[in-house]
Amino acid sequence: MTGIEPALLAAGDAGPVVASLLSDLLDVGTLVGIVLGALSKAALYVLIAAGLSLIFGLMGVLNFAHGSFTMLGAYLGGAVMVVLVSSGTGPYARIALFFLAMAAVFGVMTAFGSAVEKRLIRPIYDRQPLFQILLTFGVVLVLDELVRIVVEVRGMQPRSDWQEALGTAPGFLQNTITVAGSTTRGLYMFEVLIGAMVVAVTWGFLTRTRYGLYIRAGSEDSEMAQALGIDIRKAFSVVFGVGSGLAAVAGVMLMWDPRFGASVPLSTDALLIAFVVVIIGGLGTFRGTVVAGLLVGLFDAVTTWLFHSAYVDFAGLPEMVMFLALVLVLIVKPQGLFGVEEVGGH
Amino acid sequence: MLEVDDVHTYYGESHVLQGVSLSVEEGETVALIGRNGVGKTTTLRSILQLAPPREGSVRYRGEELVGLETHEVARKGLGWVPEERRVFSHLTVEENVEVATPAEADVGAALDRTYETFPALERFRDKEAGDLSGGQQQMLAIARGLVGENDLLLVDEPSEGLAPQIVQAVVDALREVGRETTMLLVEQNFPMAMDLADRFYLLDHGEVVASGDTEDVSRDDELIRRYLSA
Repeated sequence: MTGIEPALLAAGDAGPVVASLLSDLLDVGTLVGIVLGALSKAALYVLIAAGLSLIFGLMGVLNFAHGSFTMLGAYLGGAVMVVLVSSGTGPYARIALFFLAMAAVFGVMTAFGSAVEKRLIRPIYDRQPLFQILLTFGVVLVLDELVRIVVEVRGMQPRSDWQEALGTAPGFLQNTITVAGSTTRGLYMFEVLIGAMVVAVTWGFLTRTRYGLYIRAGSEDSEMAQALGIDIRKAFSVVFGVGSGLAAVAGVMLMWDPRFGASVPLSTDALLIAFVVVIIGGLGTFRGTVVAGLLVGLFDAVTTWLFHSAYVDFAGLPEMVMFLALVLVLIVKPQGLFGVEEVGGH
Repeated sequence: MLEVDDVHTYYGESHVLQGVSLSVEEGETVALIGRNGVGKTTTLRSILQLAPPREGSVRYRGEELVGLETHEVARKGLGWVPEERRVFSHLTVEENVEVATPAEADVGAALDRTYETFPALERFRDKEAGDLSGGQQQMLAIARGLVGENDLLLVDEPSEGLAPQIVQAVVDALREVGRETTMLLVEQNFPMAMDLADRFYLLDHGEVVASGDTEDVSRDDELIRRYLSA
């Protein structure tokens, strides 16, 4: 802890601190800063959690390998960018290459996720959920170790962010911009845009397509969906693939973000975030995941402002408060904010 | 149309169906009656391959269903109206019908047919099914089972959990449906089953212990006393 004025801690002096906090909070610049921070964090949280939510919603499989897919996406996306971007590549070309990397990584990881579902998870659907958890945890150990070996062979440090990939972001995203008196990185606003796009496309897929309808029905009662002629096993493969692809897309975005970056520990960081958001929103509801992402993002932004920059500096507190919120939701509303009680079995 | 022959079904080590045989001819309504836990619902689940039999055969229009996936059985023209209705509560009435419509079929035509058979549902077309009353949900479950030109409807306990005045509406709806569709009806409400069905099979301990025309069993007090009273 640093930065707090000792005099303000003296008994009886809490009043001026609270008044000063409130006055700062009501400042337009501060408020805009908190909202922008909240939106940027929320976009990342929803991106990270969306795939996990879809997979659990339809299949009831708690995919522990989700964070590893995000980490793989970060490295694969980073590899595409590092190979294709040179010092002469212009800013708009970098953005175009970023979208290309995102599409390629989504395609590769969707196929990879479908293969994992067909070859590894499908044979144990009839067993208890613990088997699926153990199996996906095994996938985590294998993938993380494989990536660690590859990056070390390449002479890179697996625990630190991949600076070369971070450097492929165009300058205008790395610089700060001013919005209504508050400064933020251009990249964070870009993340809001990407997050909104992914939510809109996923939402459209779920609510405007026949396959999305099958997924929503199957999420509620997969046995009934089968009895109506829906090939639920095929839907499982598609959704596990798309969910894995979405996890990897989040990784591509994080590869550019200096708060994350491509590293092996990103696997665990992303998984924890995904669990917090999905559980608070309610396991298996995409709408809940989006709302929970926004709430956790807002929570994170407020606590970051409160504990990190305004009056005191408790760097670890925002994250701890996020987990406290998870505990609170589990006690008060264990099914999450928008939890759906499933009727049929898988 | 449907022939169930010496079917043995297990839940784990529990031998639930111990050689059930029955048949349903085109155009008729057949009731499967018996006390709680004798295997009526399991018989329907075995036909749909939701509880695949370990022995025996289930043939639909001469084609073997054992070994197929449930969605393949459904696509052959078997509709299911399950116990407790199991409508998709977070989908609208229209979406519940649409989800049951085969990909190659016309959703608009399926909806038209639904509202023609169950006019009361049209008013709630955009309402989530979970917000409907029990009777309305049962109508929707029956409508959903009929979508896709299904030829055989497997109906499980349609009167369960409904108020007596609603049960009569469901009976009327099923009688109407039964004029055009073949039905295998599981029902604990004995008078209702006898009212709707042409023939019956009486199940006890996973076996068919009696069968015949419903008119005969209505008068057979001994049979009712032995197998249907609690």
